[in-house]
Amino acid sequence: MDTKLTVKNLTISFRTSNGKVQAVRGIDFDLHRGETLAIVGESGSGKSVTSRAIMGILAGNAIVEGGEIIYDGKDLLKIPEEEFHRLRGDKIAMIFQDPMSSLNPIIKIGRQLTEAMVLKGKTRQKESRTAFNSYLKLLNQSMISAIANGDEALAAVITQKCKDFNSFEYKHLELEGAYNLAHEAASEALVDILDIMFKIEKKAIEKDFRFVLKSIARASKAAVHRYVVHQKAEELCAAADQIKLLADEGQKNGDDYSALHTLLGGMKVILEEAVAFTMPNFFAMGYYLTFAQEPLPEMSVEELNVFLRRYLDDHFMLDFIADAKRGLIFSAERSYEEKKQAIEFLSQYLPLFEQETLDKRASYEAFKSMAKEVEETIDRLEIVKDSLSYTFASGLKSEIDKYFAAIVKNKKALKAHAKQQAKYDRLTAAGKEPDWKVTPPATTDLELVKYNIRRQIERLVAHYEESLAQRDSRDFDAETVAVIDYLKANASGVVAKVTKRMAKERAIKLMEEVGIPEPRKRYNQYPYEFSGGMRQRIVIAIALAANPDILICDEPTTALDVTIQSQILELINKLKEERNLSIIFITHDLGVVANMADRIAVMYAGKIVEYGTSEDIFYRSAHPYTWALLSSMPDLDTDEKLDAIPGTPPNMIYPPKGDAFAARNKYAMEIDFEMQPPMFQISDTHYAATWLLHPDAPKVEPPKVITDRIARMKAKRGGAPDGE
Amino acid sequence: MASNEVLLHVEHLSQHFGSLKAVNDVSFDVMKGEVFGLVGESGCGKTTTGRSIIKLYDITGGDIYYKGIRIGAGLLAYKQAIAQAKATYKAKVEELKAQNPVDQAALAACRREMQDTIAEQKAKIKAAKHDQECCDKEYSAKLIAQLKEKYQPLFESASEDELPALKRDYKNALRVAKKTKLVTQIQMIFQDPIASLDPRMTVREIIAEGLIIQGERDKEKINEKVYEVLEMVGLVREHASRYPHEFSGGQRQRIGVARAIIMKPELIIADEPVSALDVSIQAQVINLLNELRDQLGLTIIFIAHDLSVVKYFSDRIGVMYFGKMVELAPSDELFLNPLHPYTRSLLSAIPLPDPAYEKERKRIVYNPLVEHDYSTDQPTMREVKPGHFVYCNEAEYQRYLDVLK
Repeated sequence: MDTKLTVKNLTISFRTSNGKVQAVRGIDFDLHRGETLAIVGESGSGKSVTSRAIMGILAGNAIVEGGEIIYDGKDLLKIPEEEFHRLRGDKIAMIFQDPMSSLNPIIKIGRQLTEAMVLKGKTRQKESRTAFNSYLKLLNQSMISAIANGDEALAAVITQKCKDFNSFEYKHLELEGAYNLAHEAASEALVDILDIMFKIEKKAIEKDFRFVLKSIARASKAAVHRYVVHQKAEELCAAADQIKLLADEGQKNGDDYSALHTLLGGMKVILEEAVAFTMPNFFAMGYYLTFAQEPLPEMSVEELNVFLRRYLDDHFMLDFIADAKRGLIFSAERSYEEKKQAIEFLSQYLPLFEQETLDKRASYEAFKSMAKEVEETIDRLEIVKDSLSYTFASGLKSEIDKYFAAIVKNKKALKAHAKQQAKYDRLTAAGKEPDWKVTPPATTDLELVKYNIRRQIERLVAHYEESLAQRDSRDFDAETVAVIDYLKANASGVVAKVTKRMAKERAIKLMEEVGIPEPRKRYNQYPYEFSGGMRQRIVIAIALAANPDILICDEPTTALDVTIQSQILELINKLKEERNLSIIFITHDLGVVANMADRIAVMYAGKIVEYGTSEDIFYRSAHPYTWALLSSMPDLDTDEKLDAIPGTPPNMIYPPKGDAFAARNKYAMEIDFEMQPPMFQISDTHYAATWLLHPDAPKVEPPKVITDRIARMKAKRGGAPDGE
Repeated sequence: MASNEVLLHVEHLSQHFGSLKAVNDVSFDVMKGEVFGLVGESGCGKTTTGRSIIKLYDITGGDIYYKGIRIGAGLLAYKQAIAQAKATYKAKVEELKAQNPVDQAALAACRREMQDTIAEQKAKIKAAKHDQECCDKEYSAKLIAQLKEKYQPLFESASEDELPALKRDYKNALRVAKKTKLVTQIQMIFQDPIASLDPRMTVREIIAEGLIIQGERDKEKINEKVYEVLEMVGLVREHASRYPHEFSGGQRQRIGVARAIIMKPELIIADEPVSALDVSIQAQVINLLNELRDQLGLTIIFIAHDLSVVKYFSDRIGVMYFGKMVELAPSDELFLNPLHPYTRSLLSAIPLPDPAYEKERKRIVYNPLVEHDYSTDQPTMREVKPGHFVYCNEAEYQRYLDVLK
């Protein structure tokens, strides 16, 4: 299965005035494409902290002590904030618990929905432009080095080719931009026309009727374009001019708008045709118009596309692709040679970081030369960026910085601790009983940091070895085509403007998708005018606005009541199916999860204690904590006293030595207080961390409440299989 | 556990906020010793019902009787009756004036009739206003009279030495009796344990506040009572001097419960007491309420939206929808034979801890416009089976009877 996100050995603590709270203690999981992973646990179990770490929105006093969160080849814990900006909201989106506090009460819903779209649209335009320019320049250089071999004339020819490509690409942009505007106007007008026609039929004309008519007339005229509304342009313009007249007449005749309705019907037909029209190949057309110096031949769009394509291929493209391929191969070969050298170069520094104490100067010098070496190995023409090499320098630097900062901080922390301890001792010696405890020193584990430094280097070396092994299996033909597409896509990105109107249309479509009735009216309302369920739908719509890959839902239904909860869960499930989203669903209520989750991770005191498919957890759970969770909630047939979990979760400033759940666990054995249990594998998909699964442990059956319930449910279903 | 004695009787309760009819014509009885569950989605008026009973709002219409004493009375019905009388009078006058010659005697009779009705209703309004305001005064007057009766013989028989102590006792008791309200026998537990506790008061102050308002000044006595209830709800004495933020959610809710039971209430209105808690803590609080109920013989109105919890905890359940009570039945009966389409829709939304069942589960959508046709026959609350009431019209009533057979 396609893994979208991997969390490895994630460890997070919070520095507080009372000491260091260990919120997450080394958790591992992965998230596949299109699946829902539920993280279940009590408050304070670290489930929200985990999700916040994935979003990169941890509180200021959080310390990431170790681990990795790998998304798209990048370690989210290491990448700089600017890079995270591109992921957050865009690729990974989040829905929060309380819909009231995650919406701004003084800004209209519509603005909140479109804000991100417009902002992201602008940055994307800028990014596309720089990406296009810089990539073409790099490609040009590489092609010159590959082909020209110092031949000035040949180099000039190649440069000319790239310039040509650039110039007709910009012609393409001009054409496509104009087309986009017209096409967008046409669909906008069409939506409004349908709306008004419907209202006329229902005799439910509203106050802003005139305003909408005006915008229809404006948009219809804007839709006139050679490839949108061409032949019937005059007809459409004439109709647009008549709208106001007919509306006036209609009003005079006692709100009888039948004439207007017929007129709009005619416009509708024209616009519908236009919207369904095939888009011409502007890329090829750009070349033709720039270099052929001839007017376009008169033919249908389909024929024209074939003609232009052939013209472009014959005159320019095939030649350019061949050259580009040589450029690519040259650049890749150079990168491989560099990588070969880099493996040895990097490995020689490993012993340096194995010493008892690191030398500051030597460490930073080593870092500098390593960063330089890695910089050399990067093949800048690769489209799928080798993110490990790109992030190596920043990751390594942050680890080394952490090491030397920790030395100072540890000293301070130990000093403070010693002082406190001395005071405590003094007081007890004097026979007093202080009502405070000595907080353990909030020190950072230097060995762990050193290990992380080495791990950075080792991982890159392993990565290089792997890529060298795959050297022969690369398909440069396909890559060249991908390069051209990449350039084209970036060029179109420059013209793909997101105007406020476009964002509005998109937002209204989204609101429809999440099931908000009358989205056009709702668009202009404030959050307080929505009910709880509707508000949560808006929050979901905002999260989906940027079309993310991963959606993190942090208790999205806890503040809602049963019927609304059920609706929101259905909505999330529906969206997951439609958009193939991967969802991390965080909740404390196992009952909610049965409906949603493909897999479930049960967390307690910062650790995952059980991990398996939904069926594993509900029918074959193995950890006493999961049992306790399952048996503490009543179902519709529960009569006996509820099995409440006694006590409260442990204070994570002083995490227990053994199993964190031991103190509240009915089934605890002596070893539970001594040693933390490892993860035992029960089946391919099912893991649990409890000593009960050890071969020497006594056999313990799950509580009767659970087995009874499973049997009862099975009987209710008519003995349908429960995944066994 | 539940007896046949009616502790709380709610009749045609209406609570309107301007044009919003939060609760509209709701009637039910709560028996002594039972747990009465109120369910429905947010905004259906269940919390408003609870708050109206405890007189946090002045009710718009209807009557609330606690132990047979009217503690709340709304004026809506009377006002409507007056308006009605005026309207009929106007219509009749029009009718009579149209005749020729005008029948002066009939006109006068009409007028007299209207005036009588108005006077009658006005008297009722006066009575209602009196009850609304003075039920507590009357109750405390009764208590004072009892006290006097009790102490009078004691004073007479007491010796010189005992007299000052006895007088002090009497004074203290008198003060308490003066400030005692009938409504303090009804107490409330709130949903959010964080928001409902004053962060600047210690637990002792929070729990004792009610006693102090009631006029209790004896610190020893207060402390004793505070410790007693703290232990009752599973906390320890040492907790009394701490502040709410030092407690976990479940413990805070226990403090809320302690604050309610220190007033020795007979009726507790628990407004979503576990909705804001973790599942494992929910079980602790529910078990606690169950124990207290047995121990103190409490009657509880349990307001919640989590049906599994309500089913587990309640003896009878009332289902509310948009200010109306749509179905009322013993809890087993309600889950066995849900009749009203809204109840069925609500039950279909309950998630169960069973993935195989959950993947099959289909939520029933309730749309009142589609389900009911009330254009000709208006619905009322009808008893379809002993103890099982449904809000329906005649046609639906017959259909429900068929379903039950």
